[in-house]
Parts: sequence; C-alpha cells; structure tokens
Amino acid sequence: MHGSLPSPVAPAPGATPRSRLPLVLRLALRELRGGLRGFAVFLACIALGVAAIAGVASISRSLTDGLAREGRRILGGDVSFGLIHREASPQERAFLEANGRVSAVAFTRAMASAGDNGAALVELKAVGPDYPALGDLVTEPALAPADLFAERDGVFGAAADPALFARLGLKPGDRVTVGDARIDLRASLTAEPDKLASGVGFGPRLLTSEAALRASGLLQPGSLNRWVYRLALPDASDARVEAVMEEARRTLPEAGWEIRSRLAADPRFARSVERFTQFLTLVGLAALMVGGVGVANAVRAFVERKRPSIATLKSLGAPGGQVVALYLTQVMLIAGLGIAIGLAVGAALPFLVEALFGTALPVPLNPTLAPGELAVAALYGALTALAFAIGPLGRAHDVAVSGLFRDAVDPDRRRPRPAYLAVLALALAGLVALALVSAFDRKVALVFIVAAGLAFGLLRAVAFGLMALARRLPRPRRAAPRLALANLHRPGALTPSIVLSLGLGVTLLVTLSLIDSSITRTLERSLPARAPNLFFLDIPSRDADAFDRFLGAAAPRGKIERVPMMRGRITALNGVPASRIKAAEEAAWVLDGDRGITYAEDLPDGSRVTDGAWWTPEQGQKPLVSFDGELARLLGLKVGDTVTVNVLGRNLTVPIANLRHVEWRSLGINFVMVFSPGTFRGAPHADLATLTLPEGPDAATEARILREAAKTFPSVSSVRVRDALDAVSDLVRKLAFAIRGASSVALVASLFVLAGALAAGHRARLYDAVVLKTLGATRRRLLGAYLLEYGALGLATAVFGLMAGSLAAWVIVARVMKIGFVFDAGSAVLAAVLAVAVAIGLGLAGTWRILGQKPAPYLRNL
Amino acid sequence: MTDKAPNPATDPAAPPAIALHGVELSLGRGAARVHILKGISLAVAAGEAVGLVGPSGSGKSTLLMTMAGLERPDAGRILVEGTDLAGLDEDALARFRGRRIGIVFQSFHLVPTMTALENVALPLELADAPDAHARAERELAAVGLGHRLHHYPAQLSGGEQQRVAIARAIAPDPAILVADEPTGNLDEATGASIVDLLFGLKRERGATLVLVTHDSGLARLCDRTVRLRSGRVEAAVAA
Repeated sequence: MHGSLPSPVAPAPGATPRSRLPLVLRLALRELRGGLRGFAVFLACIALGVAAIAGVASISRSLTDGLAREGRRILGGDVSFGLIHREASPQERAFLEANGRVSAVAFTRAMASAGDNGAALVELKAVGPDYPALGDLVTEPALAPADLFAERDGVFGAAADPALFARLGLKPGDRVTVGDARIDLRASLTAEPDKLASGVGFGPRLLTSEAALRASGLLQPGSLNRWVYRLALPDASDARVEAVMEEARRTLPEAGWEIRSRLAADPRFARSVERFTQFLTLVGLAALMVGGVGVANAVRAFVERKRPSIATLKSLGAPGGQVVALYLTQVMLIAGLGIAIGLAVGAALPFLVEALFGTALPVPLNPTLAPGELAVAALYGALTALAFAIGPLGRAHDVAVSGLFRDAVDPDRRRPRPAYLAVLALALAGLVALALVSAFDRKVALVFIVAAGLAFGLLRAVAFGLMALARRLPRPRRAAPRLALANLHRPGALTPSIVLSLGLGVTLLVTLSLIDSSITRTLERSLPARAPNLFFLDIPSRDADAFDRFLGAAAPRGKIERVPMMRGRITALNGVPASRIKAAEEAAWVLDGDRGITYAEDLPDGSRVTDGAWWTPEQGQKPLVSFDGELARLLGLKVGDTVTVNVLGRNLTVPIANLRHVEWRSLGINFVMVFSPGTFRGAPHADLATLTLPEGPDAATEARILREAAKTFPSVSSVRVRDALDAVSDLVRKLAFAIRGASSVALVASLFVLAGALAAGHRARLYDAVVLKTLGATRRRLLGAYLLEYGALGLATAVFGLMAGSLAAWVIVARVMKIGFVFDAGSAVLAAVLAVAVAIGLGLAGTWRILGQKPAPYLRNL
Repeated sequence: MTDKAPNPATDPAAPPAIALHGVELSLGRGAARVHILKGISLAVAAGEAVGLVGPSGSGKSTLLMTMAGLERPDAGRILVEGTDLAGLDEDALARFRGRRIGIVFQSFHLVPTMTALENVALPLELADAPDAHARAERELAAVGLGHRLHHYPAQLSGGEQQRVAIARAIAPDPAILVADEPTGNLDEATGASIVDLLFGLKRERGATLVLVTHDSGLARLCDRTVRLRSGRVEAAVAA
C-alpha cells in the first residue's frame, strides 16, 4: 500500500507550509500520493467514454471542416447546376457563361463491352478538356488528362475504376466499347477530386471525355443522363455565390435544375455525417453510462478503503461536509486525468485516421482540433463522474469515528444526505440537458435517455429481486450451494454491480445480433421468387419492340415487363416551392434530387389504390398523377392536391388523382409517382424493362443475356438484380459492421466494469476461501460454489438481457428501420450464452488464483 | 518513570473538565442491540489523569468515545469544559473536538498518504491555524522526531508512529487528551517510553488525561483509576 509513496526526503506537492491552495485541494493532492490503486477501472471507464465522444466529435468536425474547406474542389466550382435528361439550353448556357467560367460534366449508366470477356455496367462520367478545373486527377500510371482522354485514330481514352479491370479481366491499355465508341482504358483510376459530389452507383466508374460520350450515341432524347455545369465565379465571395443562385432561380424558373453551392457541396453527405455523429455520440454516451457503474463501484470501494482515514480526519476536527469535499476533490482530480486521456485520444483520432489512410479516404477529412466539441466531451465525462461518485462519496459524511476504536465497523447502509442526492439530481439533469442540447435529433436523444433510464432501473430491480429471492430460499443442506446462495445476497454482494454491467452487455449483444439477423434475413428474403432477374435501362422508344423480341428469343419462358421511364424533380407541392417545404425525415428524400417517373394506363402490378380511383382511359388523357400513399401522408398530400414536376426543362403542375399502396419489396417496376398517359404525350423518353426467369436466379442465363444485349443493343444498360442487391447488402453490411464496431466501445466498457466488479469481490472471496480451506474445504468444492453463484447471476441476467435486447431490437428494426423483425432465437441465445460464459470465465479465472493460495500468510493479515 | 502531576481536583471550587450524568448507551440494531453504558456518572477534574480499567466488553472504550463526543448517549448529559455536547450538531462537535480534545488511538491511525509532518499539521490546518507546519515541526521535535519529518507512517516503527500520533493529538493544545490503550500495540520498552512522553506532555501543558488501559502499571501512574464492569462504574480508586 505504501510502496508507491515518494522518498521521505522530498516533500511532495501540497506539502509546502505556505501553500496557497485551498485546504481541501491541498489535502486531496496529498491523499493522491498514495497512487491510483483501485482506480484502474474508474480511469479506463471515464477515458473510454470520453475518448469515444471526443473522437466522434473530432472526426465529425474534421469532416464538416473538410467539406467546407474542400467544398469548391468537391463541387468542381463555386456553384453547380444539375440537369436531367438534357443539356443546358442556349439561354441557360448564356446565363452561366455570363457569370463565370463554365465546365460541364455528364453522367450516365452504360455497358462497357470487352468482346469475349463480356460486358459490365459502368457509371460513365464524361468530362470536358479543362477537367479537372480544381484538384488533381490521380491515375496509375500517372497520365496528364490531355494524354488520358486524347482521341487517337478514332479511339478515345479513359481511366477506369480498378473494379472494372477486375470484372472484365482487363489491364491498362486494353480496349472496351461503350455504345458506338471505342475506348482505350489507358489507366486505372486512383482518385477524382470531385468524387463525393459525383455520387456513387451500382457500377464502377469509367472516366472519359465528352467527345467519347457524344461518339457513343448514348445521348438519346429521354435517355438517363445527367449534365452538371460547374461555374467558377470571378468574384467568389459567399454573397456572390448566393446572389448567382438566387438569380438563376429567378430568371430561369423552368430550368428545373438542381443548384448546389460550394457552401453546401454535398448536403446529403453533410446530413449523413450529422446523423451518424449523433448515433455514435449516443453510443459513446452509453459507454460512459455503463462506465459510470464502474465509477460508482470504484468510489464505493475507495470510501470503504478510506474509512480509517475518514474517521481519523473527523476525529481531528474535520466536519463531514469537509471530508466529502476532500474526497470528492480527489475523485474529480482522478476523473480529470481520465478525461484528459480520453480527450487526448479523441482529439488525436482524426489526425491518426489522416496519417493512416491519407488520400485513400473517400471523404474530405481536414483534421481539426475542435475545442468546443472537446469541451462538451469533457463535460460529459465530468458530469458522469460526479453523478456516479456523489452517492457513494456522500456516505463518507456519516462515517463514524467510533469505528477507529473497534476492530470491525458495520458498513453504513444509510442513504446519502439530501444535499448529496440533490447534487446527484443536478448532475443527472446536466447530463440529460447536455445530451438534448447537443443532439441533432432531440427525439432520438430523448428516446435514448428514457431507454437508458429504464434499463438501469430494470437491472437494479432484477438485482434486488434476485437478492430477495436468494434471501428467502430455504438454506440448502450442502455447503457449496449454501455458500453460493449466501454470496448472492450478503451485504456487499456483487449481485447489483454484476447484474448491471453484465445485463447491459448482454442486452447490447442481443440487440445487435437480432438487428443483424433481421437485416440479413430482409436482404435475403426481399428477393422473392417473382423478383425480376435483370433490369434494362435506356431502351430507346424506337427499339422497344425489337428489344421485346430479343428478350422473347433469349428467354422464351421469361416474363417481360416494359414501361416508359423518365426522371423528374418535384419543384413544388400545392404551389409551395420544394426548397421551402420542411418534410419529415422519412419523406425528405422525395424532394431531394430527381426521381424516376413513369406513365401508365393501368394500375401497375404490386400496387393497390388506397384513396381516390384509378383513371379511366378517358380521364387518362388529362394530366393526372398517382402518388405513393405513405409518402403522401408524410408530405401532407391528399387527393386533389397538386404536384409540380420539372421534366425535360418544363414545369408541369398536375393534380393527384389517387393514392397507392406500393409493395416495394417485390422489386417489380414501381414508382413513387405514376402519371396518366396524357401528361407526357409526345415527350421523348426511353423505356425500362425487366425480365423474370421462371426458374429464379440463374447466373449463367443472366450472364448470357447480358452479354448478348450489350452486343445487340449497345446503348441499353443491363443490371443484374443480384448485383444491385449485392451492392446494397454490401453497403448495409458495411454500415452494420461500423455500428457493431462503434457499439463495441460500450461492450468494452461493460467488460471493464464487470472485471472491476469481480476484482473488487476477490477480497471477500479470499477471506471465504482461506477460512473454508482452513476448515477442510477442497478447491473443487469451493469452485463448485462459485460456479453456482456466477451461474445463477449469469442466468438471471441473460434472461433479462434476452428480453430487453429483443424488445430494443424490435423497436429499432420494426419502428425505426421499418423492416421486418426476425426473432432469430439461435443468434440471440448465442449472444446471451457468450456474455454469460465471459462473466463466469472472468469470475472463475480470478477465483482460481485465489484458491491456489496457502492460507497461513493470509490468516496472519486477515 | 514519570512524577505524578499535582492534582487540581483537590480544588473543590474548580469546575470539572468532564462531567457525565446518568449516561446510557446501547449499540447495534434489533436483536443484536447491546446495552453498553448503564447510567454512568463521573467527573474528571481539570488537569487530572484518570485511568479507565476493567475487563474486555465492560464499556471502557465506549465511555472514552462518549466523553470525546464520538458517540451520542441515549440518555444522560455530558459536559466537556462546561459545554453540553448534546447542544452541538455533528459539524460543531467535530470543530469542538479539533480545538479542545486530542485523541490517541491504540492503532495510531495516521493518514498513510501523509508524512509525519503533514499528519501533525492536519488538525492545525483543519482549524485554520496560520503556522500549522511550523508548529507541527516543533511538536515533532518535542516528541523526539525532528529528524523524521518527511517520513511516511509506513517508514516509521510502531513507537515512532505512536509518537507522531501523540504529537498530532497535542498539537492544537487541547485541554483534554484521551488515549485508548496507547501502548497496546507496542512492545514493553517502547510502551514505557510512550508513557513517559504522554505523561510528560500532560504535565507540561496542564492537560486533562483520560486513558483506557489493561496495563496495571500504567493505571497506577494516573491520579485516579475508574474500574468498569458490565457498563457500570464498579469502583473509583485514587492513586
């Protein structure tokens, strides 16, 4: 205990007679000379929680800063104007050129054919000669854009994502055809400066020249291409940026373009960062809350250990309040150290990520020290330490000096005085307020707080119930079960802290594993037998019949569906501009960017009308729209309201004729908005077709049809549903992995607390073991008793964790994610069993060491 | 051995330093409750040395704690230096103790994380004395530990630790010194030197001393011995 004290000749800090520090701080510093023994779990819990929150906040801030700083590079200019299906009209082009330097980039989906090596869907990006206007294009081998894209003997140049080389079995220098254009893949694409704003798709990127795109013949009226005009302003002040955007909206209202500025280069990404930050902050907060239990345990043990010192101080004239203040100061100083460690780790995280991954990061990270965010994380840590420490510390107020005169002192079972309970309430209120104030979505934060409160309350109830039950059970005749039963409920039993830490751990594990299995099942199940195998995009109207015949011949028993498809942007609802509509989170995406739209005479398969009526052929001659019922409800739309859609540079205001319920998961062709045939009479468009093979997924047939389609109809893009779904499930799996990784912080915290609680119980174990061994108990018998005790604790906790975890997973899966909840008993039970096994293993591992000790040396010191 | 101090108790006009009237005390809860002090009345004159003796469990230490205001009686009155302890709340009692009563424990109870000097300065600091460390240094020199100021308790022998404890008890110049078996944890020779020290300091400062002991030699050094049995004063014998 004293081994770590400093040398006697060197007076330590706080020892100077004329020290100006307040007495309480002076004494606290002196007490700290005893070292941090017993505070390892305390420090680890606070440091881990604070590191998680500080790290998330620092990364988030670095991303936001990166977005703001790199906005111009990401956007490729100061303002960008996105058009669907068409290039800018001369009038629009004139407006842009009058305001600054314009560079155009076109995006489309296309098939890249490599002869016998097959064909693959690519996300084609076609750029002008001045690309990249900002930032650097990095290729392997390194080529200047002029060399990369130059046309040589009618063959164009391109850089392709490494995935395309892999998919088609090609290497740099090989050739592909896209539509009618022959393109040499001169380099592999490492980094494009404007990648984030260019969006991601199902296929690998093919970066080529605008000339190549024009030569490909893919630029047909109605085909799915997007043109983005980036404008670099001579006066690039923020005010000028805003002014140009406003002027564009005012003077060219019919353009229907999506205008973005470098000030918000990627609002969707920024929103995702915000949302993910909140989720991860809550995970960090959960880790802190779990760690709080470790804090409380450590402080309780600390007060127990310090009882003689506390009593001595009181015998020398220190009032109870001063004693509490002294030890609170000491605990908060140690918490300060934990917070400092956490902040250092958290603040270093963005720098570490940048150093480790650098340019390989797909997002702009500008490592930043964020003092505001770090202060919030520190405040979280301090409030948690205070909230969890003040209860046990408050008991020091009433430690009786008379204990110094007796060998054993009754542990004080009294509640802390009201003043300390008030401090506890204030600290908790501070935590809740901080969580709510710093939340991106207060509702989510509130749900988290209520759930956390409930979980704590329930776990305490489970612990007390278990202790009460153990107290009331008849005493077993055999020693081992009797000892186990007594250990469950005796004063100072481990039951409350183990149930709490293990319970939170099991609940978390079960929740995660059930969310995981629900996601996996949903991804697997959403491919019903009737789901199509292949989608074909951009079938020119003039080739539609020929394409039907081609499919009919290629898959004689297959089911073919074909509908017209265009892209359009909702610009207003009931005359209110979309930019001014504050839509519910779940519906905001409909107003964000362009949507696929179609027209139909009959109600599409997989839909049923829930309000209003489907149009008759006569009614269908007039412009009408059928809207998805659920989205209409969220957007506050009803039958008779109007929707204004910009298609091909024209604003169309159309009344809603009916609302539909859409079965999206059938994966058939379906749209949020289905218009009447009269709405788009004569408008150029391409078709979308699906092919459903009677025998279900069939990789060989799908590959064959895909290859033949690419050869016969080079402008038609084919998508294997399996590939698209794989891309989605890959994304979901990555997300799930990230969530699991983040949640493991909370799991680690609960493991710390559990290990700490078990270690704290070892002293009592040691006493039992030594006395019982003296009386003739074998190690096996003692181990049996402990196994029973930990087993009972584990079982009760696992049952609770299974129920609470299942409920939490159901709420998240069914209510938040809105996908089907699957109760996978196997994985839930496995998670619970795993957690319990860890608990028993940890407990017994520590105990085994104790059981091996010779009793004599301990008996002398007991 | 020590010379006996003059006994001011012979002056009937002087008020007693400690006066107990019908003190009753039970400890424990429910079935485990034990009636420890059964109507004890006792007066200790200022400057008097009183030895509390009796078999284990007779209530000696509890009586000492009650005198020092560390236990509150269930019934009866305790006046220390004319102050009724019942009228003081916990904090006032702690401050009163800090100023007026010095306590020496059988197990020393030094704060392990503080040096000898800091341990002795502690009650002075708690009483906001401006020269706490200088006074503590003088007190340690007075108990013969001027060369061990910056040693921690674990680096001191048992006798040295008890000297530090005595220096700490005496540092605020208390009117009353109470000691619970001060030599109980020490060997005979060390115990004797501690007794010399304790009585020497008492005489020097004119303090009242109440001590609990099993050691009849030590009891004989006191002006008076009070024998307890089963929570009652069995006999009070003047030395």
